[in-house]
Amino acid sequence: MTATMGTPQDTGPLVRGTVPAAGGGQPARPRRSRPLITYGRWWWALPAILAVLLIHYVATAGGALYAFTNWTGIGDFDWVGLDNFRRILDDPALIGSLENTLFLAFGFLIATNVVGLLLALALNRTLRTRYLLRVLFFMPVVLSPLAVSYIWKFIFDFNGPLNDVLAWFGAAPKTWLADPTLALWAVLVVMAWQTTGMVMVIYLAGLATVPAEIEEAAALDGASTWRRFRYITLPSIRPSLAIASTLMLIQGLRVFDQVMALTGGGPAGATETLATQVYKETFALSNFGFGAALALLLTLIMLVFSVLQQAATRDRS
Amino acid sequence: MTQHRSRGIRRIGVLVAVPALSALTLAACGGGDDGGSGGSGGSGAADGFSFAFENASGGQENPWQLLADQYAEETGVEIETQGLPPDSYGLSMRTQLQGGSAPDVMMFSPGAGNSNAVLPLAEAGYIEALGEESASLVPAGNESLFEIDGEVYAQPTSIIPVGMAWNSAAASDGGVDVPADESAMLDACGTLAGEGKSFLAVAGSAPPNMGLMAMAISATRVYAETPDWNEQRAAGDVSFADSEGWQATLQTVVDMNEAGCFQQGAAGGGFDAITQGLTQGTSLAAFVPGAAATELANASPGLNLQVQPFPPADGGDPFMLASPNYALSINASAEDGAKEAAREFLAWMAEPENAARFVELQGGVAITGPDENLSPVYEPVADLLESGDYAPLPNLTWPNPGVYDALSTGVQGLLAGQGDIASVLESIDQAWDQ
Amino acid sequence: MFRYTKATALREVLVWAFALLTLLPFYFLVINALKPDEELLTTGSSTPPSRPTVENFTEVLTATGDSNILLGLLHSAVITVGSIAGLVAFGSLAAYVLARTTARWGSVAFYLFLVAIVLPTQLGLIPLYIGARQLGLVGSLWGMIVLYVGTLMPLAVFLYAGFFRNLPRDYEEAAALDGAGPARVFFRVVLPLMAPATGTVAILAGLIVWNDFFSALIFLGGSDNQTLPVSMYYYVGSLVSAWNKIFAIVLISMVPILAFYLFAQKRFIQGFAGGIK
Repeated sequence: MTATMGTPQDTGPLVRGTVPAAGGGQPARPRRSRPLITYGRWWWALPAILAVLLIHYVATAGGALYAFTNWTGIGDFDWVGLDNFRRILDDPALIGSLENTLFLAFGFLIATNVVGLLLALALNRTLRTRYLLRVLFFMPVVLSPLAVSYIWKFIFDFNGPLNDVLAWFGAAPKTWLADPTLALWAVLVVMAWQTTGMVMVIYLAGLATVPAEIEEAAALDGASTWRRFRYITLPSIRPSLAIASTLMLIQGLRVFDQVMALTGGGPAGATETLATQVYKETFALSNFGFGAALALLLTLIMLVFSVLQQAATRDRS
Repeated sequence: MTQHRSRGIRRIGVLVAVPALSALTLAACGGGDDGGSGGSGGSGAADGFSFAFENASGGQENPWQLLADQYAEETGVEIETQGLPPDSYGLSMRTQLQGGSAPDVMMFSPGAGNSNAVLPLAEAGYIEALGEESASLVPAGNESLFEIDGEVYAQPTSIIPVGMAWNSAAASDGGVDVPADESAMLDACGTLAGEGKSFLAVAGSAPPNMGLMAMAISATRVYAETPDWNEQRAAGDVSFADSEGWQATLQTVVDMNEAGCFQQGAAGGGFDAITQGLTQGTSLAAFVPGAAATELANASPGLNLQVQPFPPADGGDPFMLASPNYALSINASAEDGAKEAAREFLAWMAEPENAARFVELQGGVAITGPDENLSPVYEPVADLLESGDYAPLPNLTWPNPGVYDALSTGVQGLLAGQGDIASVLESIDQAWDQ
Repeated sequence: MFRYTKATALREVLVWAFALLTLLPFYFLVINALKPDEELLTTGSSTPPSRPTVENFTEVLTATGDSNILLGLLHSAVITVGSIAGLVAFGSLAAYVLARTTARWGSVAFYLFLVAIVLPTQLGLIPLYIGARQLGLVGSLWGMIVLYVGTLMPLAVFLYAGFFRNLPRDYEEAAALDGAGPARVFFRVVLPLMAPATGTVAILAGLIVWNDFFSALIFLGGSDNQTLPVSMYYYVGSLVSAWNKIFAIVLISMVPILAFYLFAQKRFIQGFAGGIK
């Protein structure tokens, strides 16, 4: 509570003399020594900061305390100190779900960004049907993850269309979602299928900032396609790259819906991710304390990767 | 003592969350009045009550809804119903109970072994103790699933036999009779596989179906000989890993898989595989709770399903599972008027003719035992039910949902070629002891 | 320059081929949505219906009670629009201040939002529910809007801040020199320039809210304000699911968001290019 009330008051005076000069990670403007204008008022940020403090920090902390208990999700509990964390480190199944999570997260990050960027480049200019195509590629994004999984379950079905295609080529049918290796790839394909259109849109927004004339001038000067991409396109889509990669990494690390609806974490835990395991422990299997400890661990992992990712995509210009 | 602490921590959560949220609300919509339009915990006009149940009827009429409609029509009492998805039903109820907005009457599963089980909630003080009338409905031997310290917290509504749902028309097409024992079954599996059919349709991708299969098999391999096996396990006298019965149960699954008893691609099949296999006659049987046979028959007119016990091991006697799988409870913090109305509803449910009507809607067996109204679906197992050759669904008695989950995912792994019998049984023991 | 050449035509054909492959799953969605009940159990999911019908659409659209799709649509729309409005209003203001201030609290607050994106909010479910319940927010559309605005605020701030940082300050300075106050600068100059950011926030956050099943189920459970995804669940069965109805609803629920995207596409993406040259 103190923190909640304290933040704005403590920081208020600091802000009153807001200086718009260089600092932080923002583009520097060293030539100006005195502020000419103020950019907004500090209290404009207050509602958002309050909302996040309450709904994210306070509520989550209320639940995270249980990580140090043996609470089942209802009723009594005892404090057990770090026992839950110790159990996590002893549990080999968790290494498996950590591996799965990282595989899905990075596979997802790479697949969506590569395909999304290629689509954006292809659809940025000149194609006659580009507006229609943009809508078509965006269509999977609109579906709910639940609906997407329902459809793909039919496709991966043993008697489903995918095995029909295999049969044309004379290959034996596969149990896509029951094979430990295939199932993980299947989940990845479904995740990427659904989200690539979103990434495409983010890159399109970035590409739209590249003035056609500059590109044309460069082309007239005889710059190769690659050089034009490297020196004109890439710098202007850097913000898009930062946004798309952060979002995809976090979404990948949190992957839940698709796994839950496609395989439920099966067969026998082969596609279990940290998020599905947290859900199961906290809500389905009545191990709230253990699940909370697991969730804290997941958060730590995500933080580490987010920091690395932020460092990797920071504007170095 | 612990109760104190737990209340304490919950209060911390509320203490911080409430002023926080009120700030938000004031900013966003100018305050809210307690009670709102949301929870129905206090919907209690003296003559009505709210009622929550699992709803997974695939767009068809839900038996609980029909029951509520009938009651409302007969008594004029208003019931506010809430049909929720089974996957998150337990979570919804636990959240609502702790938030103080839970309905007055709730459907639960007896015991403690499911995520929607009633006993942990009763232990935490959220469930009202019921009277003699409800207690008298608890079938002998099932008391531990409904009672804590002699108080009954849930009223059973019907008995659901669990065996194989058997499509006899498809069976005679395939030239197969109900096998009398395991070897006869494995032979039949081979015959059917040769015709491109399968003895069983299973949903390998759905752990609960795998768990149900294992339990249905365990009826003859474990519980026929040792009806109190769960109590022995609880006392620490036996373990899954060392139990010959459980080893035989899982071995049967492996043998069936090798003999081609399951449909092609069974390991990846969903519940649709069961539905399609049974309705199209490509599979003869499936492991579904007896009431689901009724649901299936409703969905596909002309389909005739009966419940058969799973074949015993060679030389064994038939035995099956049957227990009250659903029960109704009253919210301890319901308002007095609503509580009274809820009690009247439970009393009405306890009357034999009303219980019988519900059984008809839901497709179970009357809680008072099989009688002349026994549905033809259960005709093949009428003798077993009559003579008491059945045990309750084992997982109801198990101490936490993790045990059943370990069994279910373990069997799923056996079908998908992961793990072995010994490691599966060990993981079940681990889940039990945690 | 950038004229339509043979290479461009080839590119167009290739992209179309990829598009059709990508859209194949929709083929199964559509054929199953057109399947009459009696073919649902008797034919495989990849077999097109022998007697296509729109009955499923008319049936789900006219259903009442728990499966009232129209009401679900309405509730979903109110919640989504309300949440987007809240996120755009509060998120853009916060992100603007955070992106422009050089005071240290600005970067502290920014990290506060960034870290919140990865917090395991499901742990806060029960405290949040209890708190919301005491405030009468449970079961109401208002409550859901407050909840979603709070939950998705970090995302909105993160997106906006990314865009604001790359906006040159010249416009604001010019407007300020003309005598406009900070509020006027923000609402008249910055926000219009940031239409693409607003579009991105609206689409990303709107999609999450529109498709959210879990929070709606928990926080609206037992009320008459159920949203579309929860109404859809009425047709999911433990054994027998009415896939034809479910897929009809899936198609119906796509329409509003696709329409919004169509509307937003030119406006936002083009507007960006036009604004910043």
